[in-house]
Amino acid sequence: MADQESQVSTGTKVAFTIGSLILATIYFTALDYALMNMQGLDFFYLFRK
Amino acid sequence: MATLNKQAQKKIWAFLALGTFVGLLLLPLFLSLPAGASGGAPAPAASTAPPTAQPADAKPVEKSRDIWYKTEGPVVGAPAPKTVDGPKDYPRYNFESRVLLWVANQQHLYYGSFVLAVPIFCMVIEYMGIITKDKALARKYDQLAYDFIKISLTAYSLTAILGGILVFTYLTLYPTFFGYLASIFRPVMHTYALLFVAESGTLYIYYYGWDRMREGFLKWVHVSMSVVLNVIGTVLMMLANSWIAFMQSPAGVDDQGRYLGNIWHVIHTTLWNPINVHRLIGNMAFGGGVVAAYAAYRFLTAKTDEERAHYDWMGYVAMFIGVCFLIPLPFAGYWLMREVYAYRQQMGITLMGGLLAWLFIIQAVMIGSLFLTTNYYLWQGLERMRGAERYQKYIKYMVFVLITCFIVWLTPHTMVMTPGELKAMGGQQHPVLGNYGVMSAKNGAINTIITTTVLSFIMYQRGNKVPTVKWASKGNAFLFGLFTVAYINIIGLAIYGYYIPANVRVGLSVPQVATTLSCLFIGVLLNSIMLKGAKELGPTVWGQISVRSQYALIMLATAFTWMMGLMGYIRSSVRLFWHVNEIMRDNSPWAFTHTIGFAANMISFNVLFFWITILFVFWLGSLGIKKAPAAAPVGQKVPVPAGSH
Repeated sequence: MADQESQVSTGTKVAFTIGSLILATIYFTALDYALMNMQGLDFFYLFRK
Repeated sequence: MATLNKQAQKKIWAFLALGTFVGLLLLPLFLSLPAGASGGAPAPAASTAPPTAQPADAKPVEKSRDIWYKTEGPVVGAPAPKTVDGPKDYPRYNFESRVLLWVANQQHLYYGSFVLAVPIFCMVIEYMGIITKDKALARKYDQLAYDFIKISLTAYSLTAILGGILVFTYLTLYPTFFGYLASIFRPVMHTYALLFVAESGTLYIYYYGWDRMREGFLKWVHVSMSVVLNVIGTVLMMLANSWIAFMQSPAGVDDQGRYLGNIWHVIHTTLWNPINVHRLIGNMAFGGGVVAAYAAYRFLTAKTDEERAHYDWMGYVAMFIGVCFLIPLPFAGYWLMREVYAYRQQMGITLMGGLLAWLFIIQAVMIGSLFLTTNYYLWQGLERMRGAERYQKYIKYMVFVLITCFIVWLTPHTMVMTPGELKAMGGQQHPVLGNYGVMSAKNGAINTIITTTVLSFIMYQRGNKVPTVKWASKGNAFLFGLFTVAYINIIGLAIYGYYIPANVRVGLSVPQVATTLSCLFIGVLLNSIMLKGAKELGPTVWGQISVRSQYALIMLATAFTWMMGLMGYIRSSVRLFWHVNEIMRDNSPWAFTHTIGFAANMISFNVLFFWITILFVFWLGSLGIKKAPAAAPVGQKVPVPAGSH
């Protein structure tokens, strides 16, 4: 209990980190898209033109 | 039995006292209601009565259209006076009247903001003391709240004196203009005066009743009084705001400035609420800064370790409150600016893209220095905790990020140049640095600065702690992922902005701000949950902090003060040559916009004057201390705000 983190293997830590990066990327992309859409603007403007 | 009776008597008196305060609070509103609708003049009943009921020679009630609300109303006021430069409208000394008014206004505002903010802190801290189960902690909270209100008490008297000076300055130097304003706001001004009386009474009983209402039910009555006090204070501020909002975006009058009988329209102008919100948040940040500076002053002059520990803690709490309100302040400012643009586009352009634009560059420097100082204080605060050394190695990277963003943040879009310099540079924009002077870069920079400040705070929260929850690894990984992708998103959006048209680019600021706020709320909340029951590597030794950190607090407070003066000047000078925008023209010889250098000197003078007088207030406060404050013994755990370590 004293140091839960040290008991987790490096492989698991890497997996958690990659998972978190993917999760955060999805979250922020959705946020960007939704907030631009809310303003009536196209977030992917550059890629559509 | 006798004790019980005494307690019952106390309760009755307490209820009566509270009832009186509430009554005093509501009385002006009742008084103003019947008079307010007609501005104090007899109601124009003739307008609704059938024509036959009128005497033959009675004049029909003239009606006119509200300049903002576009509704029709009976004309019950005189047109706005057309002033001429002379002793009748602008009596003067051999000196610029506007400068005298500027000083009187600014000083009253500084003190008014301070005495409005501090009781709000008091209310929160006293309440925390009541609900805390640990008796020792409760006593410390109580002592802290008492310390806060003690400082504001002397400042309160000064606020009233400065208010008097301000009114006399108006009456003697701008009588025609003030007369016009008073003719419209008569019921509001009377309500204001009555509320001021109610606030004074509540404040003095709140302060002097502290010891008598220390325990049990009476303590609840006491904290309820602080709620009443703050409601009155906030209403006072909002009423005063209605005057300046009317001057900037008038409503409730027709195009000649004639009052149309609806007092609510005059109060509730389009900029009133944005100004209310911006000022309230700004006052809280400013109040936090001033109290932090007071604590720093007491820390620096402390003779014992116990005193140092107490004032170190007090400074930290005040700084924490100040920064909590500093973070949403730019968003409130953004709302205000948006409403200014919506009201008059030209006014917005004058502010941010024209005559006053360079003042916004100065504001950017001030905001940047506020965040730099906050980070510096938090890093210095790591010295209090054993085990926090492990975070020292990250500071240099954070310094690099902050300084880089700060430089981008303050890069001007264009420079004032001689023709020779212009030719040498190949245009108004520098070929390389010019790229950093645009909003795309600046939005990225300021959001990165705020996100880094949040990261510093999370680091500070963790200082001497190691999370022991089962999901600590996942939590750490999530925090890492959150901040890494947030930085990429903020900077990525800033770069993306260079490749898309302005009408799309302008929208990118919203997701950038949302990214920063996500880090703030998700990051700090998650970290706080992770640290519940965390293993402590060592105690937090309050008082064991560098002297430099205390100067940082003073710097923080001074920067708040300077920025407040600057933004007040900007908001006021955007009216240009109008007393009341587009209604009453300023025909005095001083109806011009000062140079930036002169304005900066005036703001600096006001800041200096305020700090000299507030030091006097601090000194007066220290005279009243008979015993040492509730000691926070060196090495002992001292309460900290929720969310902190």
